[in-house]
This record gives sequence, C-alpha cells and structure tokens, in this order.
Amino acid sequence: MPVALSIQGLTKKYLDVWNKEEITAVDDLTLEVEEGEIFGFLGRNGAGKTTTIKMLLGLIFPTAGTATVLGKPMGDTEAKAQLSYLPENPYFYENMTGWDVLDFYGRLFRMGEPARSRRIEKCLNDVRLDQRAWRRPLRGYSKGMLQRIGIAQALLNDPKLLFLDEPTSGLDPIAHAELRDIIVDVGKQGKTVFLSSHQLPDVELVCSRVAIIHRGKLLTTGPLNELTSGDKVEVRAEAVPGEAAEKIRTLGVQIEQNDGRVRVPAADPEQVNDIIDIVRGHKGTVTAVLPHKRTLEEVFVDTVLKAGGD
Amino acid sequence: MVTMAIARQTLEDMLRRKILLILLIVGVGMIALGPSVGFLTPRESSAVLRSLGLAVILIAGLLITVISSIQVIPTEIERRTIYTVLSKPVQRYQFVLGKFLGGIMTVFVMIAAMGIVFLGVLFWHEKAFAPDMLKGVVMTFCQMMLLGALTIFFSTFAPPVVNFFLSFGLFVVGNLSTVTESLTSNRNPVTAILAKIVHYSIPNFGNFNMQNKLIHPEIVIKNETVFLTQNIVYAVLYSAVLLVLAILVFDKREV
Repeated sequence: MPVALSIQGLTKKYLDVWNKEEITAVDDLTLEVEEGEIFGFLGRNGAGKTTTIKMLLGLIFPTAGTATVLGKPMGDTEAKAQLSYLPENPYFYENMTGWDVLDFYGRLFRMGEPARSRRIEKCLNDVRLDQRAWRRPLRGYSKGMLQRIGIAQALLNDPKLLFLDEPTSGLDPIAHAELRDIIVDVGKQGKTVFLSSHQLPDVELVCSRVAIIHRGKLLTTGPLNELTSGDKVEVRAEAVPGEAAEKIRTLGVQIEQNDGRVRVPAADPEQVNDIIDIVRGHKGTVTAVLPHKRTLEEVFVDTVLKAGGD
Repeated sequence: MVTMAIARQTLEDMLRRKILLILLIVGVGMIALGPSVGFLTPRESSAVLRSLGLAVILIAGLLITVISSIQVIPTEIERRTIYTVLSKPVQRYQFVLGKFLGGIMTVFVMIAAMGIVFLGVLFWHEKAFAPDMLKGVVMTFCQMMLLGALTIFFSTFAPPVVNFFLSFGLFVVGNLSTVTESLTSNRNPVTAILAKIVHYSIPNFGNFNMQNKLIHPEIVIKNETVFLTQNIVYAVLYSAVLLVLAILVFDKREV
C-alpha cells in the first residue's frame, strides 16, 4: 500500500524564555500512514498532536527530522493542493457568509467558475448545513454549524489526505454523531484521514490504525484490532454456587457474580481449564469462553500510565 | 489569482470594520462641512477649504493606513484564520502581498472617497474644477502606500503596539526630511553622520507633502512632472524593498 505520510525522527523544541529551559513538544517521532486509511493520532492535551500536524503543514518548522506528505516535503505547495486541514476550534472570517468563505478558499485552490460554485454547493450539502444558513454571516452560526463549514472547507478540493484536529470536540450529541458519520463517509471514498483526537469512542469506531503519543514521544502504534485484542480470555458460566465462585477467586482472578451467573473477564489462558473444572465440579454450566477484547480507552490509559503519565 | 483572492478578502473584511468606517465618515463630514465655516474674503475661503481638505485626507488616511496595516497580519495569527489559509496551496509571499494589497486597496478606496467629496466641495464652492488638488490627493496616497508597506514589514515580527510606535515614530521623523537633510551638512561630524543615517535609511515621507505648494500659488515647483514622477517611483520602489524584507522575515516565521 503506498504511503500517504512518512515521518522520520521529527522533533520540535521550544525555548521557554522565562524559565530559560528547552521544552520538547515532539520528540523523535517516526510514523507512517498508508493511503486510504483512517489513522487515529491519540494523546492527552499538550501531548504534541497539533504541533506535529502544524509541522507537517509547514506552519511551524521542525528542530530535527524530516517528513514527506503525499510524497512531497512538508509545506510543499503541490502537496497542499491535494490535502486539507481542519484545525481544532476553527475560526473563520466571521463577517463573511458560509458560501463566501468557501468561495474564498476555492479561489485559493485556483478553482474557476462554474466548477467552484458547483463544488461549494456539493460540500455544503455533504456536511448537511441547512441551506437557509448558506448566505448568512458566520458570526451568527452555532459551534456545530461552524464545524460543518470547517469540514466543508476541508472537502472543497476533494483532497487525498485530510488532517482533522479534534473535529468533534465541543459538539452536542447529534452534531457529534453526524460529524462522525461524515468522517466515516470520507473514509469510504478512499481518502486518507489523519484524525487527531482524544474522543476515544469515536476513534474506535472510525479508525483502522492508531498511534498514541505522550509528552511528544510515540508510545505505540498499530492496527486497532491488534492493540485492543488482549492475551486474556473471558469465561462465562451459569448455575455456579457461591462456594465454586470462592474457589475461582482463589486462582487470583477477578470475578463478576450475579444470581449464579459468573463472568471472569480477564483470565490467563492457563487458568481457563482450572475455572472450567471448578464450574463443572459444582454442576455448573460453562456458557462461553471468549477472547477478552480491551477497549481503546483501556489501551490508552494503560499505555500512558506505563509511560509515566499521571 | 491567489494573491488577488487574499487582497479581495482583506479589502472586504476591512470595509466592514466600524472603526475605519467611522474615520471615513468623520473625514468626509469634515470636508463636506468646510464651506459652512465663515470666511473673510473669497481668496481666504478657498485657501482654508483646500488646506482643510488636504489636511483631513492626510490625517484620516494616516489613521486608516496605520489601523488597517497594523492589524492585517497579527489578527490572522491571533484569530487562527491563517491556519486554514496557509494550509491551502498558498505561498507565504502571496499571503504577505495579498494582505498588503488588500490594506492598500482599503486606503485607496477611503482616500478616493474623501478626494471625490473634496473635489466636489471645491467645485461647488469655486464653480470650477481644481485639478491641482488631485495631485495632493495622489501624493497623500503614495505616502500612505509607503507607510502601509513599512507597517506590514514591522507586523511580520513586532507586536501591534510596538509596530504602532515604530511606524508612527518613523512617519513623524520621515516627515522632517528637510530638517534631517539640512543636518547632514552640520559642522559636527557626529551629528552629520547620524543625520545622514537617519535621512537615507528612513523613508522621506516629507517629500510627498505638497500642501503648501498647492495652497500658496507663489510657491513654485520647478518641474512638477519630474517632482510627481520621482515621488511615485520612490514610493513604489521603497515599498517594494520593504515588502521583500517583510516576505523574507515572514517566510521564517512560525504561525
């Protein structure tokens, strides 16, 4: 699969003038994103996610390291013609109407008429912005409407690669769900999406691969199903007497018990036989033995805590 | 196309700014109300009207230029609108040029509006067109173009407050070009060297002041065409140099 984004040893250091110390915002980051995937870039606030994106777009300059975006160096104009960016909490020219601001961005993409108008109309329809709002100044827009304009401007040039920085933050549940669906639709069109977020349930729903960054350092990266699949097994059983449950507990596993039903959510594979023997020995019934799948939130918290996050 | 798109957006944004519209309305109002002031003689009345009109255009133009040029790049960074612009296929030089042109087009529209009212008032009062005054308005615009370029240059690295004092200070010193020129031949070598540095490095804004020459017919410019052409070329070239410097600084700036 061709690579859309290749980052090698990217580092960004700032000098804190007041404290006379160097702050490392991004530390030797190496990462690849393949074409056509929705890639989740996860990290806490201040982890270095936005700094990384800004370097890739040429808005700020790295202290060390290199990267190629769609095969071109960072900030290359030719690459920028084929990518788009939705910043976190995007601000637009509030005196302009939704249509006019997209018209302005269309001109920056050197789109001529009537193609520009047709494209604006399509994008506004794609992001489901109420047609009555198209010709109203942006200062009267709600946060959700502004975010739709943000997505529309990011779709305007039919990009190959989209950088979305916290696209669903601060939205109400309906707008949140709608925007998440739009991102899924974008992914289905074969576009590469670099999604920076700490909305982990969203990332879990839409991304195929993720990377976790903490204090500028890459902690882990890989396919979502690999990261969330654990080496533990979940055992479920029914008609298990309390005495048997106590015996299971002595194996050193966690157990959830309710009216004779038991669930051992994270047993080591070698403990499974012992648990089954105890259940059968007490005339109970084993109903399921399942691979235990962790949530992305569990993976994220474990990874960050192991790296010394507080 | 990209530079002009940015210039057009900047112009439209500026023309919606209340502070600039207030300055324009005050300027136009003062020029329009000029004839209502009582005068002793018709000649005095004409001189006062001309003097008032040119002075109002200069002061209003100065404020409009400084306000629009100081804000034009820092506001983009502060409001983060620059992210969505520079992440498009836009070169940084196109951004700086577009912002400068947008600011200067704003100044042009406003000075032109005041100039039209000024010439209209003079025509109504004197029952004759005063083409000489147009030269004064054009020179004021050239002066403001140069000031705009200077302000844009400072705005690529200095915060707006610092920029205001720098630009305004240099405008005042640059308007004293006749004084600095006379000091270049001072007996004291230190004074002479300092005066030379100031005189040749700071834009000679004073060159564009032809109000006295226009209001008092007894002051004659030897070759007016050469004088006007020289000043226009000076403004264009000096502005171009300042814009090149602004682009070089902005190219290295993180946003």
